[in-house]
Amino acid sequence: MATNINWRTINIDALDPDSSTNFDLTTLTPAVQPISTAEVQTLSGQIRTLVRGGNAEGALMGALENAPYGADDQGKALHLGVVTEVLGQIRQAEMTPILQRIYQSDNGSELCDTLMKYLYKGMGQGHPATNSTSRNMTPQSTGFTQAGGRNFGGGEGGGQAMSVLLSWHEKLVEMVGPGSIVRVMSDRRTV
Amino acid sequence: MSQSLRPYLACVRQTLTAALSLSDFASQTSERHNVPEIEAASSPEVLLNPLTVSRNQEERVLVEPSINSVRVSIRIKQADEIEHILVHKFTRFLTQRAEAFFILRRKPVPGYDISFLITNFHTEDMLKHKLVDFIIQFMEEVDKEISEMKLFLNARARFVAESFLTPFD
Amino acid sequence: MAPPEVHHLFHAPIADHSFSSDRETLAVARENIVEIWSKSNDAKGFRHLDELRGHDKTVTGVDIAPRSGRIVTCSQDRNAYVWEPTGENGAWKPTLVLLRINRAATCVRWSPSETKFAVGSGARTIAVCYFEEENDWWVSKHLKKPLRSTVTSVAWHPNGVLLAAGSTDGHARVFSAFIKGSDARPEPSAWGERLPFNTVCGEYLNPTAGWVHDVAFSPSGNALAFCAHDSSVTVVYPSAPEQPPRAVVSVAAHLLPFTSLLWSSETELLAAGYDCGVYRFAGDESGWRLTGGLEAEAGRGGERKEESALNMFRSMDLKGRGAGSADDTKLSTVHQNTINSLRVFPSSQEAVSQVTTAGVDGRVVVWTL
Repeated sequence: MATNINWRTINIDALDPDSSTNFDLTTLTPAVQPISTAEVQTLSGQIRTLVRGGNAEGALMGALENAPYGADDQGKALHLGVVTEVLGQIRQAEMTPILQRIYQSDNGSELCDTLMKYLYKGMGQGHPATNSTSRNMTPQSTGFTQAGGRNFGGGEGGGQAMSVLLSWHEKLVEMVGPGSIVRVMSDRRTV
Repeated sequence: MSQSLRPYLACVRQTLTAALSLSDFASQTSERHNVPEIEAASSPEVLLNPLTVSRNQEERVLVEPSINSVRVSIRIKQADEIEHILVHKFTRFLTQRAEAFFILRRKPVPGYDISFLITNFHTEDMLKHKLVDFIIQFMEEVDKEISEMKLFLNARARFVAESFLTPFD
Repeated sequence: MAPPEVHHLFHAPIADHSFSSDRETLAVARENIVEIWSKSNDAKGFRHLDELRGHDKTVTGVDIAPRSGRIVTCSQDRNAYVWEPTGENGAWKPTLVLLRINRAATCVRWSPSETKFAVGSGARTIAVCYFEEENDWWVSKHLKKPLRSTVTSVAWHPNGVLLAAGSTDGHARVFSAFIKGSDARPEPSAWGERLPFNTVCGEYLNPTAGWVHDVAFSPSGNALAFCAHDSSVTVVYPSAPEQPPRAVVSVAAHLLPFTSLLWSSETELLAAGYDCGVYRFAGDESGWRLTGGLEAEAGRGGERKEESALNMFRSMDLKGRGAGSADDTKLSTVHQNTINSLRVFPSSQEAVSQVTTAGVDGRVVVWTL
């Protein structure tokens, strides 16, 4: 009903197709092809086979070369799972030599950037939708409404996985410098 | 100091250094204005991908970069309810004095305990690497501060309880 | 190699700077005024001579025409002025330019012919301005399509007709800015043959699509380089009009992004930016690579205070930082903050032998290559 619309809060910029608010971000990623989740699934199966065969380095290379930029959220999450699994399989001492070999391969700089994307994405995971899924504390008489969403006690959870990613990050930055982090931020092809 | 704190802070430092590449950028939407794009969010192409650095489930930093401003949000470790109350009081104390801290944001981003907003004017007035140092130092001090306060609180509680119960001895 | 010549003018950001062709005068953009500095006789650097006041918001671009000595400035207040020396006691006469843009002006450059200039703006427009005799003012024609975001930089082709522009939509573009009546018909080149106003001769995007900070044509005009916010430098070699380019070479650096670049020869590029230093790139159509920094060549730095191992480990532990002592306020580079503009130091010779940089730290530095 017209009387219920609060005219003051309408963002008129959003209604104008020529406004800068409606910049089409897909124009920045012309080369990205859509990939179905099923294809990602087959790919991750192949990578897992490589890992089981003891070829973690090959698996990592394969995973980075075939990063599914065009997949939907589900496909991307699937691939991220595979990449973190592979990263977890590689021992601390082997990280630097493997990174060096990747960096020196053709396209090495781009593969390192992709790895950097996965490291940040991996760290961004593990706390889905803050304040919604965590165990609900009985509200105490303290009066702090925020307390409800905190997951006390489980505080150290995920620490192991994160420290793996952090040490990969450290070794990677040593090699490719801050330029790679800048590219993760500016690249619209997200993983 | 815990083993995993060093790589965590190093990672935050690198991320911040990369994110603090800011330039003077006038608004494309409002005439003759120059606003932090990360807050205005009126032009999607001048915002960059946000990055998260986390140490575990409960400790993480969110860095949201844009062309002329960066928003940095920190989730401080809280192991139990007392620490939660202390963190709340502590950050409230700081944010109420935000103007004295220049880069402090008055309200944290949802899901985080404290946020900083750094614009290109800050990086012009102040040294960039010192701004990064400040945030890193804040992060390490705040953990220490909170656990110290908790110790004080417990000691005080014990003392109060003892003196209260003495007459019944 | 001669050490860089450092002039610390003031403690405020310099958005843009320009030297006159005789190297005597330096114009710098400081907040909403443009300061004119002149070389002092005792060779101790520059002294403050004059101020050009007129803009009421941050001045974003300044350019001195090499032959006529006219200065053009533009600012976030949406205006541009052309300042002409009046001859008597060094006063300057401003003329307002009819830009007809409704957002901030971001950059300005004279064309090689000095009869026109281009102003980039946040209104997703480039205003190409020329002088109209009958009305006695500067008027503009707009280049609009297909710009989709703020124009961050403009650069002229040596023929004075083609104009390159970088934008925050990640594209570097080449336009024709041919003004009937004032320009002679240009020679056909790899960029195009017939060039009416607003012909788009090329539109380039690199895979990471960061905001383009600066664009530059090579001295011959047969290649275009641009640097973007993904720390990359991309060089485009066109093949023929309406054809895809012969080669597009992109170098992803390990450094922070570059804000400004220039060609010192057909096979060498210089770039400077958030890393506070000037870096060299060398290459040709088959590939480009980062070859080093001017800072290191000039042999600065080196002396670092000896410190105890205990302090080092403590600082590594506490701050998560490799080396660092009590006094780490000063950076080891000449510039202490981002370099905003990198330009050729004018000289009578054809080859580029010296370049100048100006940065957020209020320093202007002259580098000898």
